Amino acid sequence: MSYVQISLPRLLLSLGLIGVAVVLSRRSRLGLEGDLVWGALRGAAQLIAIGYVLLLLFNHESPSWVLLLLAVMLVAAAATAARRVEHGPPRSVLFPRAIAAIGAGALVALVPVFAAVVPLHPWYEARYLVPISGMMLSNAMNVVALVFERIFASASSEADQVEALLALGATPRQALGHQETATLRAALLPTINGLLTVGLVALPGMMTGQIVSGTAPEQAVRYQIVILYQLVAVAAVAGLIAVAFARRLLFTARAQLVLPRP
Amino acid sequence: MLEARELVVMREGRRILDGASIAVRAGEAVAIQGPSGSGKSTLVRALATLIEPDAGTVLLDGRDAREIAPTQFRTRVAFLAQQPAMFAGTVRDNLAAGPALHGKSLGDAQAGELILAVGLDESILPRQARTLSGGEKQRVALARALANAPDVLLLDEPTAALDPYAAESIVALLVALGVRGLSVVMVTHVEAHARSLGGTLYRCERGRLLVDA
Repeated sequence: MSYVQISLPRLLLSLGLIGVAVVLSRRSRLGLEGDLVWGALRGAAQLIAIGYVLLLLFNHESPSWVLLLLAVMLVAAAATAARRVEHGPPRSVLFPRAIAAIGAGALVALVPVFAAVVPLHPWYEARYLVPISGMMLSNAMNVVALVFERIFASASSEADQVEALLALGATPRQALGHQETATLRAALLPTINGLLTVGLVALPGMMTGQIVSGTAPEQAVRYQIVILYQLVAVAAVAGLIAVAFARRLLFTARAQLVLPRP
Repeated sequence: MLEARELVVMREGRRILDGASIAVRAGEAVAIQGPSGSGKSTLVRALATLIEPDAGTVLLDGRDAREIAPTQFRTRVAFLAQQPAMFAGTVRDNLAAGPALHGKSLGDAQAGELILAVGLDESILPRQARTLSGGEKQRVALARALANAPDVLLLDEPTAALDPYAAESIVALLVALGVRGLSVVMVTHVEAHARSLGGTLYRCERGRLLVDA
């Protein structure tokens, strides 16, 4: 099966789409022009680079190279999730916790699927492992970023509530309970919305890609269902772990609220 | 008995508390007076174990507070902030909050008793707590703390956000609670309120406590 090729001039033509956003940003004085241009170039460069990396990887498939690439992806995801959070601790404190939360979430979503649902031969088969892991890491990154963003802000703005509960003899978990629930609900909402609208609004990239490149739609759909379920697991696990880390940063061992100084 | 020995609290290199000591016997009323910035709020928060002193010890019945589980300590030693936060829900929900943390429920009769004890009417129980006036909130917070049946009540400027009439009646209420056997420690910058409490009077100066003659 053949597919429509994108030539280089046609690729450059698509830059016009960024141009639309730049013009709108300038006219509305959003001041985002620089970010848009930088983001467009950086995104393209990263994708072109990963294209070559994948090519190289497929030709020299070995467990160590595949694991190295996954490790780089994990570090990049954690560094992004741990970006400067208002009312939160410094990045150096958040980064290792983001690694743990994103890594654990991804493991829970990936290991059982590659062991039982999509068995790989060999287990490090890059054309499955890398893109699917990438989707999991990316979703975990967004969830962890949302958790960090929200939990420290709400603990800070509702510190009087939290302390009032502590003063009544609450454990840290009880005292922060409302904030934790609200944070997790907000962080999981995009993933749940994704479940509800998939096929109606969004046709996921991987499924579309598989169909375009010739996979039977029925198989492409099954892959997508598995991935959706994985995304739910990764979001729940990463979110819960990030909240637990945040709670440990917000309280002393003697159940005293300490708002972090950035 | 609640006791603090030589408490030191540092904040950004400054000594907020500089060796403050105090002992509060069972049923005793204590007022701590001093200008703002003298460390009196920090002292009462350290007594409540809500902040960790850099040196010194808080003792409850002669036992180091660090050896007592915070949940247990704070059930016996209640603390009220200057403008106590109301939890979402009704006044009744707020009163039940403390017992609920320990897996207990609060009966209707108890809720009624508590609200009467702080000088409010039972008709306030179904109202949304966050819509109450400052004085009402202060009283609901007091009833909420009493629901845990504490031995000691620590109050940080309970009269500061109230009009003179509401402030006087809160102090009178605290006096009445003292009569019922509760130890009361009240921090205030208003000398008249400190004197109306009728107990031992301390003055907080530069992070130390002096007994006021």
